[in-house]
Amino acid sequence: MAETLAPAFTGADVPDMAALRTCVHCGICLPVCPTYRVLGEEMDSPRGRLYLIRAAAEGRIGLTPSLTRHLDLCLGCRACETACPSGVPFGSLLETARGQVERQGRSTTPRLLGRLIFALFPRPDRLGAALGALGLYQRSGLQRLVRAAGVLRVAPRLAAMEALLPVVPRRADVPVLTPARGTRRGRVALLTGCVQRHLYPDVNRATARLLSLAGWDVVAPPAQGCCGGLDLHAGRLDELRLRARALTAALPDDVDWVVTNAAGCGSAMREYAHWLPGDAGVARLAGRVRDVSQLLVDAELPLGRLGATVTYHDACHLVHGQKVRNEPRALLARIPGLRLVELADSELCCGSAGIYNLLEPAMAERLLAMKIERIVQTGARIVVAGNPGCLLQIAKGVRERGLDLEVLHPVQVLARALDQGRSFGEQDLGR
Amino acid sequence: MALTRDVIDALRKILEPDALVTSPEGRMVYECDMHTLYKGAPDVVALPRTTEQVQAIVRVCREHRVPIVPRGSGTGLIGGAMAPRGGVMVGLNRMTAILDVDLPNRCATVQPGLINLWLTRAVAERGYFFAPDPSSQMVSSIGGNVSTNAGGPHCLKYGITTNHVLGLQMVTGAGDLVWLGGKTPERPGYDLTGAAVGSEGTFGLVTAVIVRLLHAPEAVKTVLAPFATIDDASETVSAIIAAGIIPAALEMLDQVMIQAIEDGVGAGYPREAAAVLLIELDGPRAEVEAQGERCAAIAREHRALDVRVARDEAERALLWKGRKEAAGAVGRIAPAYLLQDAVVPRSKLPEIMRRLQEIAARHRVVMANVFHAGDGNLHPLICYDDRDPDELRRATEANEELLSACIALGGSVTGEHGVGLDKAKKLTLQYADADLNFMYRLRRVFDPDHLMNPDKMLPSHPACGEGFRPARPVLPPGAWI
Amino acid sequence: MAVSTRPLAVALAEIAGADAVLDDPATLAAAAMDGVAPRWIVRPPSAERLAAVIALAADEHLAVVPRGSGSALELGRPPARVDLIVDTTGLDRILAYSPADQTIDVQAGVTLGALTAHVARHGQMLALDPAGGRGRTLGGLVAAAASGPLRARYGTLRDLVLGVRFVQADGVLTWGGARVVKSVTGYDVPKLMVGALGTLGLLVELTLRLHPVPAVEETRLAGFATAEAAGGFVAALLDTSVQCSRLELLSPAASTACGGAEAWSVAIAIGSVAEAVRAQMSVVDALVARGSGQTRPAPADVWSRYGAAMTAGDLGLRVGTLPSEVSRAAREAIATLGAAAAVGACATAGVLDVRASGVGVAEAEAAIRRLRASVAPTGGSVVIQAAPRALRERVDPWGPIEPGALALMTAVKRQFDPAGVLNPGRFVGGL
Repeated sequence: MAETLAPAFTGADVPDMAALRTCVHCGICLPVCPTYRVLGEEMDSPRGRLYLIRAAAEGRIGLTPSLTRHLDLCLGCRACETACPSGVPFGSLLETARGQVERQGRSTTPRLLGRLIFALFPRPDRLGAALGALGLYQRSGLQRLVRAAGVLRVAPRLAAMEALLPVVPRRADVPVLTPARGTRRGRVALLTGCVQRHLYPDVNRATARLLSLAGWDVVAPPAQGCCGGLDLHAGRLDELRLRARALTAALPDDVDWVVTNAAGCGSAMREYAHWLPGDAGVARLAGRVRDVSQLLVDAELPLGRLGATVTYHDACHLVHGQKVRNEPRALLARIPGLRLVELADSELCCGSAGIYNLLEPAMAERLLAMKIERIVQTGARIVVAGNPGCLLQIAKGVRERGLDLEVLHPVQVLARALDQGRSFGEQDLGR
Repeated sequence: MALTRDVIDALRKILEPDALVTSPEGRMVYECDMHTLYKGAPDVVALPRTTEQVQAIVRVCREHRVPIVPRGSGTGLIGGAMAPRGGVMVGLNRMTAILDVDLPNRCATVQPGLINLWLTRAVAERGYFFAPDPSSQMVSSIGGNVSTNAGGPHCLKYGITTNHVLGLQMVTGAGDLVWLGGKTPERPGYDLTGAAVGSEGTFGLVTAVIVRLLHAPEAVKTVLAPFATIDDASETVSAIIAAGIIPAALEMLDQVMIQAIEDGVGAGYPREAAAVLLIELDGPRAEVEAQGERCAAIAREHRALDVRVARDEAERALLWKGRKEAAGAVGRIAPAYLLQDAVVPRSKLPEIMRRLQEIAARHRVVMANVFHAGDGNLHPLICYDDRDPDELRRATEANEELLSACIALGGSVTGEHGVGLDKAKKLTLQYADADLNFMYRLRRVFDPDHLMNPDKMLPSHPACGEGFRPARPVLPPGAWI
Repeated sequence: MAVSTRPLAVALAEIAGADAVLDDPATLAAAAMDGVAPRWIVRPPSAERLAAVIALAADEHLAVVPRGSGSALELGRPPARVDLIVDTTGLDRILAYSPADQTIDVQAGVTLGALTAHVARHGQMLALDPAGGRGRTLGGLVAAAASGPLRARYGTLRDLVLGVRFVQADGVLTWGGARVVKSVTGYDVPKLMVGALGTLGLLVELTLRLHPVPAVEETRLAGFATAEAAGGFVAALLDTSVQCSRLELLSPAASTACGGAEAWSVAIAIGSVAEAVRAQMSVVDALVARGSGQTRPAPADVWSRYGAAMTAGDLGLRVGTLPSEVSRAAREAIATLGAAAAVGACATAGVLDVRASGVGVAEAEAAIRRLRASVAPTGGSVVIQAAPRALRERVDPWGPIEPGALALMTAVKRQFDPAGVLNPGRFVGGL
């Protein structure tokens, strides 16, 4: 280890040495890191990973399988960024380091699976078709047959994917335009997302309904494409750039805000400018991204009574990626009759982390178990999270344990409260 | 030194398959603690889950004469949790359980890897807390706190770790598993618990700790007082102590530090102040009120620019967040720094603060100050660029001069961070050969083969301390006939 | 013995000064410990001379007994041999006092009373009030780990001693600790010296932490029908934020002596600013009432009365037990020693001071054995503080020490005093 090699990172998109050097090794990030919490070992902590990235940048080590492994195991949840008093941009350092690993062909992710995922997820059209088939798979009884036969046992990552799927709903798109009601405040574009659109169409519909009630015209162009969040987190920076430009072109420019209801998408979009310096259009889009809760928090909503005990899980890319912490809680707390109970370690990742639960099912499962245990401790009947990945993951944990718990997006809870309100039911929207 | 195959194999038999770190990358991240200037990777890192495993590890190391280095969260500031001679590092981060909370006896038994703040979190709802609060308390382990006898802002009133440890379970360097002390505070015999707290892993590996829990005070008042000069702030500190007030905490931050914190945490410290005092009083409400007013008056008498009382728990928490994350926030103004931890008699604060400014200016280094003013425990951070050897040299010289200046005023080499590798050689500033010889011999009782955290705590000497020959009194001729 | 008495006396005089050596038979007889008269008494005028005396004693294999005011000589096993009593009362200088630092450096022969008088004019105190302590030397108090009711708030001597200078068994003057209130430089040697009965080193200087004297201190006596009720009150009080400066549970005899009712009582002192004392006393009163107790103001000299009660009688015990067990242990003490025994029990420190008189040796032995059996399961101890030699010969005054810890203590003693110069045979385990 003594002799110095050539720096392991080359070409474009190398981890920023000045950023690496802001880490003073204080360790405040350790206890908030999910993998450190599970493993209790330095190399699977943010401080350890930064140390390794820096060592590679300085030529102390190469891009060895061991280094790659520790980077792969990171969820990219960025809890460490929230904790860091020095402001180390861990997320972008990880993403560039992953990009280098990917580009230099050192990835340890199984090729076939990686290809499958990236051929499917960032393509709403293909994902839709695949999920349509899956819906058939579930409804036909084939799923029961496959599960009973135990064929998935030999392929844990495939099993993870299969287990994650909720009952696939039938398609139901948001209208291209949902006009504002009451006092008009402006116009927003809604990102309908890939997973959200197909697995949680309710969430998009509720988002549009609430925004409209809050006084916003909601535009949802049907052909939007993907935000590139999954590419970014995997270090596929060139793919991210392609998607960012495409999305910028697909969304209308004449809007006040671009609203997301999927934390991962919002977080990625806010960072476009960092990855495409000099692209004014992309930067303008990035600057206008808001989570739905941010636009609703000060709106007058005719919320009816909802007598339920609810707990809130902080989606990593909402609380750490976008620093949205209070708005969803404030919104929920406004619902008459609703009792909001704080969730211990609410900011600890549930294990979903984009496609992490597909690639690293064992670690994801341990984190899910910790999350479920704490949710159960709250005594809540509804657990709320602002990201489809979390919803899928937590719902899986709930399903597998046979718990009597609903897993909902904040807008779904708000929509229910609207339904309880006297004058503004679902039917009003069609008026 | 490289370990033999035998040692690795023996350790494998003791531990779970994922509990032995042997890869070069894995070992590399354990090569330093927060004092990154000192690097030394262990040959292997063991991550035990049980006391039995810890004892078995020590026995293997003894059999093969391999050094053992304990490690908690690696937040030490003294090069304590690194392995200058290689050997086996024992990371206690998987032993994090709270074994017992006994409120009728106001104590808890915990495993060493438990994070300090987690204990308070576990008992806060019932009105109790664990008093030692090093600024790293959100990450540092209780085992690590015991090892360095950690302090913190609130030790001004509540005392340091040793005042809160009732008992320890330890595997000594001799490989024996012993309980020192226990839940019953009053015990006949030597106070071995007291001797072992602060022994920096040189006596053995602590596997369980019985700590005191305190009942939360009735009231807390946090006051922020900015000053136009450091002198005014220092004199305020001395005047508060001289007035017979023992605040729970009495902290000072200078302007360089304030900027870094405001950039990082945004704690609400006024950027234009040359120094701020963070004064916290706790206890019975009426006492807190009376003393709060007295402190405010003293601050005003010493030309405080403002006296601001935190209005609610959120504001108080933010003021403290700024203070506690200060050392981390320095990353915003410099890539590296040397952190001093010397102590002066608190009446000497104005004098030493003037000396510090003068020393930093002479060596042309940027210095930030954030420290426990109430007990005279200074923490000047001397910034340097780790790629500039000349700046490092000047920083090092300034740092050494600061320490000497403190000792010259009757102070101490370290107030709370400990000795480690960093200050082992500095002990001679405070202790004579006889004193050091006594310490070597004490160490040998617990660790006869000198395997536990070698090179730390005491200055290395060829024959392990025998060189520190105590001066025996010279008896007059004929006296022993 | 290598040399005869006479030449050694000459050597001692040469080292310590002619008037520092006492060897006239009458004085020596009067100084007998447990019936064993010393061969010499030396009262050195300085730490350096004292060190030289010990060096000589080590060379000559003398058994040295350190002595301060001589009030705790019955603590420990009866000596098998007393060659030389080293009287520390010649070391009676206050070396440095810095009121602004709240620290003081004193020689070990300074009495608590002298120190108190010295610092009182600055509104400060050493927070230590052992029964009969004012006439005792600070070195003796430290060696015996004496404590009094103030331990409820300020802890015991282990919390008050910052630095020590001592003479090792070979005559080497050694220093440990610091002169400032906060230091972790090197091992915490002062802790090792507190309660060591001078067996590791003979204390010659101490640096002590002082505290401000509270503006007001007020004491209440609360009487209860039973020990359980008194204990219940103490437990309830400790579960509040009331900050007592002294809190002693008193047996009926002790209560009477302190001016309280002839019943199990609790003496509660609160020191603070007047308003805070008043406010906290009202909490105390409410708790007393809830526990069906009767409060009465205590006489002004209540704590001197307490001190007198706790030094009366020829049998003195100190019981260490769990804080939650003190009232049970207090009852047990009365049950074994009779209602006339005075017990003062501190539930924060888990310690009981017990005094009785006129108890026969066999009776006392049985009582001690029974008390030990009752506190042993929770790690408690019963140490004889004062008793005639006959009793301390029949029953180990220290009681059993857990074997693992005793092995280490033995190793410590062997390391620092292998020849057994300092108080040989008198400490725990015959060390």
